Amino acid sequence: MTKETLLEIKDLHACVGEKEILKGLSLTIPMGEVHAIMGPNGSGKSTLSNVIAGHPAYEVTGGQILFKGQDLLAMTPDERANSGVFLAFQYPTELPGVGTALFLKTALNAKRRFQGFPDLDAVGFMKRLKPRAQALGITDDMLKRPVNVGFSGGEKKKLETFQMAFLEPDFCILDEMDSGLDIDALRTVSEAVNVMREAHRSFLLITHYQRLLDYIVPDYIHIMVNGRIVDSGDKTLALKLEEKGYEDYK
Amino acid sequence: MKITNNLCLITQDGQTKTVNVSSEGLRLVVPDGKELNLSALVFDGTFSVRVVLAGAEAKCRLSCVYLSGRKSENKIRFDVQHQAGNTYSEQIVRGILTDRAKASFEGTIRIPKDSQKCDASQNHRAVVLSDAASVTAIPELEIYADDVKCAHGSAIGSLDKTQLFYLMSRGVPADVAKKMLLRAFVRDVLDDSFEKYVDEWMGEHA
Ligand SMILES: Nc1ncnc2c1ncn2[C@@H]1O[C@H](COP(=O)(O)OP(=O)(O)OP(=O)(O)O)[C@@H](O)[C@H]1O
Ligand SMILES: [Mg+2]
Repeated sequence: MTKETLLEIKDLHACVGEKEILKGLSLTIPMGEVHAIMGPNGSGKSTLSNVIAGHPAYEVTGGQILFKGQDLLAMTPDERANSGVFLAFQYPTELPGVGTALFLKTALNAKRRFQGFPDLDAVGFMKRLKPRAQALGITDDMLKRPVNVGFSGGEKKKLETFQMAFLEPDFCILDEMDSGLDIDALRTVSEAVNVMREAHRSFLLITHYQRLLDYIVPDYIHIMVNGRIVDSGDKTLALKLEEKGYEDYK
Repeated sequence: MKITNNLCLITQDGQTKTVNVSSEGLRLVVPDGKELNLSALVFDGTFSVRVVLAGAEAKCRLSCVYLSGRKSENKIRFDVQHQAGNTYSEQIVRGILTDRAKASFEGTIRIPKDSQKCDASQNHRAVVLSDAASVTAIPELEIYADDVKCAHGSAIGSLDKTQLFYLMSRGVPADVAKKMLLRAFVRDVLDDSFEKYVDEWMGEHA
């Protein structure tokens, strides 16, 4: 039986200013699968993530993205998020003056409203927050501080993963989640991803290192070079890359 | 309490009161060793404060948020005179402008020749939400003593697009996200007692 498609990208072109960065990218991700993208610096991996999430700095000049069969590019970033898209950013944004707990509550209730549910009360909020925070080492002190302000590089990455666990999206993009994480944190964060692997949820992991893929074993690996997917294969592709680099693809 | 124009709310050393902005302005003298803390929330008109730091170790911290909507014209004037040496002052001003509002901030720091070892700072930031609104900052530094510290800066711009996107990428609708960021922008200047007035204004204007 073939799995249902969650995300389908067809011949996507996107620019920043005058410069074309995505040059006809196609990618299909079925439900329940973990896909990894690897590729040289500047090949457009973060651009792809940002375009999926709806970042206003990137202009889509061609192609299509279907998410659960719907036209994703026609939606605002908040509609995309509330429909189930989540991007754990390579460089998370600091929000001075916006408390982390309030931020989480606002995001969760926005999603609930979008789905026609009433806001969660304080008890329900804490119930949802506590175990996930604990699993990822998010302290009460971090939750009291403004979002990402004064967080270390690794703490920011943990908070991104925590937000993902908290909001329970259907499609999770993790852009270099492993950069800046120490070995224990890498294990913790990978574990948080693995417990979320379910039949209705898919992941797109962007990474430079085989090591992450030992912890979170992907169903497919794609190689991205110069704004396109140039090769796809199973997890052995990462081993080949580790050995030879991107030489063959250039 | 309903906010009307021309009204400004100030807290002075923990006491909150309202004053009419069109009045002459405030003139305050801080004697040696004393500290003045003044926060103001201004909606329209001219708000003018002159402070004289009259003796050693006198301090003042002047905070002001102006919220200018519709066709309001805000003028914020702070004037701090470091009459004595070893005196300290801080001016922090944040503004939000919408619609066709106009605002200006004139911040003056005076340190005469004999007032050595003073520390003065002035910081102004404004968020302009509409193309038709405008704001100017006019710092005036009259500093004649040579052994002093003085810092000043002003930044005028729109809401940070990356921050807005980050909130929206978590499902927060644009209008809610915008208000969260505006509230955060004034929060580091005004304490919680002002929050409901800020919210009320934003409900109507932002
Ligand atoms: N907002 C932007 N403004 C200007 N140029 C940009 C912007 N975003 C991306 N670019 C450019 O687009 C190209 C692709 O960048 P992108 O961040 O997508 O690469 P990447 O594959 O994620 O690289 P890395 O592995 O280093 O994270 C780069 O040349 C980059 O400089
Ligand atoms: Mg990147």
